[in-house]
Amino acid sequence: MRRRVVISGCGVVTAAGHELDTFWNALMSGTCWVKPLQHFAHAEMGALHGAETELPGEDRLPASIDDNPYRARCLELGLAAARRALLDSKLKATPEARENIGVVFGTTMGEERQVGDLSESQAPHDPAEPATPRRVDASFFSRVNNHQLAAQVARAAGFGGPTLLATTACSSGNAAIAQAYDLVASGEADAMLAGGADTFTRLIYCGFSRMSALSASICRPFDKQRDGVSFGEGAGALLLEPLEDALQRGARIYAEVAGYGISNDAHHITAPGPHGEGFVRAMQQALDTTQTALERVDYVSAHGTGTLYNDRGESEAMQKIFGARAKQVPISSIKSMIGHTNGPASVIEAVACALAIQHNAVPPTARLQEPDAELDLDYVPGIGRAHAVSTCLSLAAGFGGHNVCLVLKRVS
Amino acid sequence: MTGVLAAVAPVAVTGYSVLTPLGDSVAALVAALRSGRSSVAADADFETACTSRLLDFDPTRYAKVRGMRVYPRATQLEICAVALALADAGFAEGAIDPLQLGAVTASSFSHLETLIEYDRGLTTVGMQRTNPTLMPLALPSAPGAATALSITAKAFAITLNDGGAAGLAALGLGARLVAEGRARVCVVAGAATICRELVSSAARAKLLTPAAPLRVLDEASCGTAFGEAAAALVLERPADAAARGRAPLGFLRGQASTFAPSQDELATALARACQRALRQGKVAPEVLALVSCGASGIANSDRAHAIALQRALGDAAERPAVTAIKGNLGEVLDPSGLLQCITALHALRERVAPPIAALERPAVAGLRYATREAELAGGAALLTASSSTGSCSALVLSSD
Repeated sequence: MRRRVVISGCGVVTAAGHELDTFWNALMSGTCWVKPLQHFAHAEMGALHGAETELPGEDRLPASIDDNPYRARCLELGLAAARRALLDSKLKATPEARENIGVVFGTTMGEERQVGDLSESQAPHDPAEPATPRRVDASFFSRVNNHQLAAQVARAAGFGGPTLLATTACSSGNAAIAQAYDLVASGEADAMLAGGADTFTRLIYCGFSRMSALSASICRPFDKQRDGVSFGEGAGALLLEPLEDALQRGARIYAEVAGYGISNDAHHITAPGPHGEGFVRAMQQALDTTQTALERVDYVSAHGTGTLYNDRGESEAMQKIFGARAKQVPISSIKSMIGHTNGPASVIEAVACALAIQHNAVPPTARLQEPDAELDLDYVPGIGRAHAVSTCLSLAAGFGGHNVCLVLKRVS
Repeated sequence: MTGVLAAVAPVAVTGYSVLTPLGDSVAALVAALRSGRSSVAADADFETACTSRLLDFDPTRYAKVRGMRVYPRATQLEICAVALALADAGFAEGAIDPLQLGAVTASSFSHLETLIEYDRGLTTVGMQRTNPTLMPLALPSAPGAATALSITAKAFAITLNDGGAAGLAALGLGARLVAEGRARVCVVAGAATICRELVSSAARAKLLTPAAPLRVLDEASCGTAFGEAAAALVLERPADAAARGRAPLGFLRGQASTFAPSQDELATALARACQRALRQGKVAPEVLALVSCGASGIANSDRAHAIALQRALGDAAERPAVTAIKGNLGEVLDPSGLLQCITALHALRERVAPPIAALERPAVAGLRYATREAELAGGAALLTASSSTGSCSALVLSSD
């Protein structure tokens, strides 16, 4: 017998804010936080844009974990979001109870900056020579391990349950939530903190630039003039626990995680499959396994990166799944405001969905000014709007063809 | 506490494969283990570290995959292991509906060499002259994505990053996804190659033995040695295997993961994982025939594994034979749990446990260490694993 699983704590650290109210109001206003970057650059690329996150003092990385917060930025963001989600949950667990609470985090690039730090430390560089091993210090082995993200969160929270790191590129956040959901629903864990974190990396900027997938200025998801991705940095975390437990302790319940659908394109190492076929399978599985009727879906949180292919494929998938009703279901991309945060994007979007259910309103796709005739859906252009929301789908996709679709529902 | 596997268990293993320095078939590997051979040796690339190298690996011998040559060596290894495992399970190429085929990859560091190469290129020769094909292969999820692409696995492709405990956790995840019907067939795979920077860093951290032999669970254990290997297993629901007339090689019955916030708490956390996995699998410690211990030669970690087994097995601690294959193959990280699983299933069927290489004086008494080949009575085994970050995992399996 599977247990019903609910979200009883949310944490975000994004360019649009760290407090849930601030974050939600910023989204609803349609403000775009993608700006010229102040704290990240790559000499060959000129002025870069992105949505930077400023952390308050209490969220700064303790020097005991890494005395170089720049290179450990991903970890710093992840710990901050986790701390905020746990605070928000007001969970008070005994040390014994904490042994049955775990962590699943997702990331696209994880500790990439640790490798960047290594490259810098090995200067002067001679491409003809291999790295000089003597310059690799004793802590590199542990610092470069992406599992540190989940492990440090578990350590800070005093949790002793399953502590895992899932990577499915830019759908990692949803993959983490899906795993956490399964562990709680099955009874394997009493609660799970599901989250994700990523920061700006030169691999992502240079790689997307070479693929012509980086927006020349600021992204415009679903717009006719869309020209690629704008990145953001950030993190998100959700506390998932059984409905019964949340009710018993009087927790604020944001939404139920009803289940998920998952698929893989197996089409190309970077390009998504044609016609949104992978999205369709993930969405259909999500609807089927959660026994959600199409007409009950009130809102879809899009992956919505602003690339030509993603936005077209995602829109085609919506039309295939919803048919004649497709235009009646609002679908929007908050990446238009906080940029594409990669691994944590879908966690942050799950928080936005949970808040949409709480507020009976849907966030917009900002900067959508010129509709693309090929994409003919209600993308909620400009600013958010009031809209009754009881059931949401939240879509995510990643390099390599990984698609995960969550179903979130109001708990009545 | 109940477990996902308890509700729907067991999940059948219907095929497997290995690519190791001690053999590229399970039979060859097991023969080497049973004779006590070790591939851990001094490595001219490192002054203070031994390694276990997989020499003369040629991917074209094992799989014909489009674009194979552009993949990093670890990805090539994984793709080849998966092709071999599917063949071992009796699946001809293209025989599985892609929509019913999923892949779970254990990969913590197998992208790292590519990432280092790409990043070094950016800082030395510049963005325009850095090989752009490296970028998507430098993502932590890339080995799993490439593997799923190679077999057209459309049900799912998930990568778990959990250091030395990833293999067992990946098996648990794969079993869950198959049991839930998210795919009829799931391949669980992992691969590891020697990364110069990791070895150098671990050597500086004094985690590595400076000289062979690698001794695990021994009073003289003084560090581990990194190794190269790949392994893959094919999982199906027993009914699906039966429907196509396939006799399972064994069954996954329970898997649990826990976390140790500090080294001092490793034994307690690992014991908890063992107890949970046994409970999920509905296997009493008294019926265990074999323990495949994830000890790697790092003294305090090995000691924690032994103490954890004592605590988890209680009065039955001295019954199962305890083996530890990292003494033969070195610490191969992600695929290590998969190799433990494959060799344990083989040992249960043959009713013989391979000895622990070079074990002379156990550091912790009270367990039945296999210092020579040990006859097995019973068909169930417990596997343990831990990572340097504190993750612990245990898996219970059976031969029938």
